[in-house]
Amino acid sequence: MKIFSPLGNNNIRTYKIVMKKTILFLCPFALLAMASAQTKINSYTFGAMEARWLGPGTMSGRITAIEGVNNDNKTLYLGSAGGGVWKSTNAGASFKPIFDKYCMSIGAIAVDQSNPSTVFVGSGESNMRNTVSIGDGMYKSTDAGDNWVKVGMDSTEHIAKIIIDPKNSKNIYAAAPGPLWCDSKHRGLYKSTDGGDTWTKIFYINEKTGCADIAVDPSNPNTVYATMWEFRRFPYAFNSGGPGSGLWKSMDGGKTWKELKNGLPAKPFGRMTITLAPSAPQNMIAIVEAKETGLYISSDGGENWKSQSATMNVVSRPFYFSCVVIDPKDPKRVYRPGFGFSYSDDGGYSFTDASYDGGWVHSDHHALWINPNYTNQMYLGTDGGVYISLDRGATWMFVYNLPVGQFYHVACDNNNPYRMYGGLQDNGSWVAPSAAPGGVNNSSWQDMYGGDGFWVQPDLTDNNIAYAESQGGNMGRIDLTNFKSLDITPQAGKDDEKLRWNWNTPIVTGQANHHNLYTAAQYLYKTTDQGRTWQKISPDLTTNDKKKQQQEESGGLSEDNTSAENHCTIFTVAESPLDENMVWAGTDDGNLQVVTDGSKSWQNVSANYAACGIPAQTWVSSIEPSRFDRNTVYATFDNHMYGDMNTYLAKSTDAGKTWKRITSPEFTGFAHKIKEDLVNKNLLFLGTERGLFASIDGGETWFRMKNHIPDYCMVRDIQIQPQTNDLVLATHGRGIMVVNDISPIRALTKEIAEKDVVLFTRHPEPITMGKYGGGGSPVSGGWWGGNPDDIQPIEYYFKDRATKDVNVEIYDASGKLVQTIPGSKRKGINKVYWNLRMTPPKTATGSTKMDYGNFIAPMVLPGMYTAKLKVGDKEYTSQIEMVHDKDNKLFTEEDRKKQFEAAMQLYHMHERLYTLVDSINTEQKELKEYMEFVKKASEKKHLKEYYDKLEALRGTLLATKHKSIFADEKKLREYITEVYGAVCNQECRPTNLQEGRITVLGDDLKKGEESHEKLVAEYAVKAKSIIAAEKARPKVQQANAGN
Amino acid sequence: MKYSRVSVLITIILITWVGALSAQTADEIIAKHYAATGGVENWKKITSMRKNCIRRSRGVEIPVTITVEQGKGYKSESTVGGMTSYTIITNKEGWSFNPRNQQKPDALPAESVKLAQDRLDIQGPMIDYKEKSYKIVYLGTDDVEGTECHKLKVLMPSGKEETIFIDAANFYLVRTVEKTKANGKEQSQTTTYGDYTSLPEGIVYPMSVDGGLTIKSIEINKPVDENIFTPGK
Repeated sequence: MKIFSPLGNNNIRTYKIVMKKTILFLCPFALLAMASAQTKINSYTFGAMEARWLGPGTMSGRITAIEGVNNDNKTLYLGSAGGGVWKSTNAGASFKPIFDKYCMSIGAIAVDQSNPSTVFVGSGESNMRNTVSIGDGMYKSTDAGDNWVKVGMDSTEHIAKIIIDPKNSKNIYAAAPGPLWCDSKHRGLYKSTDGGDTWTKIFYINEKTGCADIAVDPSNPNTVYATMWEFRRFPYAFNSGGPGSGLWKSMDGGKTWKELKNGLPAKPFGRMTITLAPSAPQNMIAIVEAKETGLYISSDGGENWKSQSATMNVVSRPFYFSCVVIDPKDPKRVYRPGFGFSYSDDGGYSFTDASYDGGWVHSDHHALWINPNYTNQMYLGTDGGVYISLDRGATWMFVYNLPVGQFYHVACDNNNPYRMYGGLQDNGSWVAPSAAPGGVNNSSWQDMYGGDGFWVQPDLTDNNIAYAESQGGNMGRIDLTNFKSLDITPQAGKDDEKLRWNWNTPIVTGQANHHNLYTAAQYLYKTTDQGRTWQKISPDLTTNDKKKQQQEESGGLSEDNTSAENHCTIFTVAESPLDENMVWAGTDDGNLQVVTDGSKSWQNVSANYAACGIPAQTWVSSIEPSRFDRNTVYATFDNHMYGDMNTYLAKSTDAGKTWKRITSPEFTGFAHKIKEDLVNKNLLFLGTERGLFASIDGGETWFRMKNHIPDYCMVRDIQIQPQTNDLVLATHGRGIMVVNDISPIRALTKEIAEKDVVLFTRHPEPITMGKYGGGGSPVSGGWWGGNPDDIQPIEYYFKDRATKDVNVEIYDASGKLVQTIPGSKRKGINKVYWNLRMTPPKTATGSTKMDYGNFIAPMVLPGMYTAKLKVGDKEYTSQIEMVHDKDNKLFTEEDRKKQFEAAMQLYHMHERLYTLVDSINTEQKELKEYMEFVKKASEKKHLKEYYDKLEALRGTLLATKHKSIFADEKKLREYITEVYGAVCNQECRPTNLQEGRITVLGDDLKKGEESHEKLVAEYAVKAKSIIAAEKARPKVQQANAGN
Repeated sequence: MKYSRVSVLITIILITWVGALSAQTADEIIAKHYAATGGVENWKKITSMRKNCIRRSRGVEIPVTITVEQGKGYKSESTVGGMTSYTIITNKEGWSFNPRNQQKPDALPAESVKLAQDRLDIQGPMIDYKEKSYKIVYLGTDDVEGTECHKLKVLMPSGKEETIFIDAANFYLVRTVEKTKANGKEQSQTTTYGDYTSLPEGIVYPMSVDGGLTIKSIEINKPVDENIFTPGK
């Protein structure tokens, strides 16, 4: 390479050396400079745009692990299937999420009871249903959940149980069933001997067999029991059981093992759960999945077993209900959380079912924690949340404050406020308004359809109708006025094959024509009359591979065919927003088909997407035809059921003929949903099993959205509500989340992001006190999701966190300061809320009662205002146009003027009263100060008389005797505030009596002022003279006189 | 050969550089924090502080005064509508008074007084923390609203835990999260700081707290009338 040198050729070598040295020294700094040269757009760029968590808490989600701290009776840790870890420090009265930066799927939790600050979380639920999510290893906290470190087992995907040696907490065992969808060497029993910092696999059978359960003898912790489980899921079948399954025992802390068989049923086994009695550890219970599944007991540490109960709750779905617990103090008291909850007082020979006297208890139980200090107190984890019992499991109370529901889909209508509809795993279909008086809370949510919920579609042409479904394609049309439903499930025709409905059958409204409603088995159906008549508009669009249609044989040792394994079905349907005759359909077996003439000429483009590097036969999880270009379409693909957890996203700009795969190093988790913005074609959102991602450049670059959204949240569906611009997320474990008004994301460009400070302009804003009223009672328990902003915030952007003070000042058109609002300083977009009011008046002081007049300010009038953002000594300005709220038909502009006039009259009365009382206070202070020094009796009397008369007057102007919040003393100040508050705090013309009252109070104020003037005239001159004389005396004399 | 030596050199520099970033200790972070905010010696000279503040909310300005005499007393007062409420902490007792609903000050529970003792320490928990029997753990970096911060956890003998976030770029204090377990309940309080200002005494002090508290003036090492730490005086 030739180098031009101003030093001349002779110096070229020297220059090269210098340059090399410089490069060497500058290398790290140059890298840094390059990295920071361009502002990286990420979720912090949109800093204050934080999601609301709307729940519901009235229907929660699957709980997989519960662990308490034994020595305090009130600290609990909960693990959920898709909502992370939650902690309570008050026995369940409230919970907080403590694991939101990490994996959301939780398999097991363990607390080191000898040092309860040490807590382990094994990620990856182990209830191996079709929709179970994976984990990414073991986590440890040494500060009771404040901070976490991943300590290994990264590839196990599922961790079923963790047991800490009660005598030596350096020794810890962890059961890893391992991957569900593929063979793996990472399954088995793991052990740590250094307090959980490192882990070693100590017991392994084969690539198909993992460890499902463990028990450790507390009296002799070298005695360890392990159940090994051979299992596998395929997209179309499940198998539990095989030669690898068995029950094993080690007497040397896991070094050597022997299989336990005596008295157990004939092999092969499936999943087994095992437990021992803490108070008598030789007594054990195992529930063994076999050809004849049942409960077995041992009284000799597992050497010999005896068959006991095989009641329905014991034998049902062993792969899913793997929990049996013996009371910490009573070895005969056995609890079986399973399909229902049952308990035994005879060691597992017979069982009694729990009652519903405390309310219905959701079926499908997975976790139980019993307080060892008070064994009546227990916590139960189910598919529908947590329950508490205080009577040994006989009756249960629901915990309403855990928003860990697992939504599959979400839809919004166009109401104001809009309603959100969605279906929950095992918990039906629900609807709630996005805003409500007092905020969205548990009571805002309405159950609208049963079974497992998936798609719910509002009829955008009929405000009283919605469509919902339950598993296996059962669907109904629901009257939203009374929630009665009518079955509209399409039926097979004469020449049709048996209909194959996906577990999560699509019901989709047309985007170009909202009268079109689609659903699909292997055929696509369309109705234009709310399901009264259906047209089959496609042939079988799947591969119709018969090898993948053996669902009736699914389950392995225990038959399990709940429609979850239905395969070769259509999974996703999308009508082009630009052409109702262009419809896309994606199947669970890899077909991606499109029709451009409504129903006739279907084209399979699956080979085309496969050409861009996406595996063939990959589940098509979502299709997003562009609303900006008819030939542009995005699709996501999910191959996790073949053990491939990669994120597959692709785009075609020629109606599916060719595809380009979109990748990003940010992506994690298999893809569920791609969503194109309604306004900005370059703004895209991607929901995966492990996070929400956004791109503002058409998919070139992506960032993880962390805007009060857990980092690895399972985002199954994404909608954008067109009127509010809200981003609405269906999460599979944290309920519905809403990021209000994403306009700033649409508006933010890379050029703006490069600026140090940007104060955004605002639309003309109606002057309002908000949409809702209400009694104002605080929320008493349950989950509360709040409301969107009533008032448009003032938004500004900081490239970096501000190090100087930040304030926003509002000025009216005349340049008068209206209000100063403290601003936040965070990096990215900040929001500041001006309450659209003036600065409150000064109100009279010196009372024994708090008066709220000085917190109340009149609403401003329509007009132009200036927002001045002050950052240290720098200023940025923007105009704000305030307009009358024309939506409020009961409050005219004339009303507003009248209201303002009345408010300002009262405002000024308060300030006049403040001045009057302040004068009196000042005078009294001086009188009191000198009264005691004055020697002459007549002078002393004059001062005292003056003081007392002032006090008598003061006592008519404001409350001076008020001593309790229950003794409501009212004087002039309080009366002014009473009317002032009534006038200012409602959107209404003042009533005739309010206006009359203002006159009366104005007269009273005037009388007060006149009374004061009279007193001043009568007493002040002489009093001042006395005080002046006293002031002239040496201070020593004054002090002595006082003595 | 020549190139391989260069490569080795680059690698060594990079490793050293990256290692220096990653191998920071709590003491190093604390030292950098105090170097950036005026030096430990200047901080240790502070024996009293009176902060005259304004808390702004919905257009209302509430005067707040916070007075601390090192190791002896803490008093915060706020005046609303002419009525002053206050909290006092001394090294033995504590009181709170709100004239809106109290006739006389309430004594604070002993456990609350114990947990609030760090308020008597103007210099902050990180100076001479070992002498104070505090333990400080470095927890690596974390972000506070997008700003990368060093994260330190202070464990106090009282049982209070305070997590401190220090800006990794300028080493200013960004946020503290106090966690206490007292009187049967666990509570946490998050405070975010800003407006770092050099004071005549040589220290750099955050003059604002997110949420609307601004320090208008600050008096350092002025005599404090210890009577103010007695309720009613």
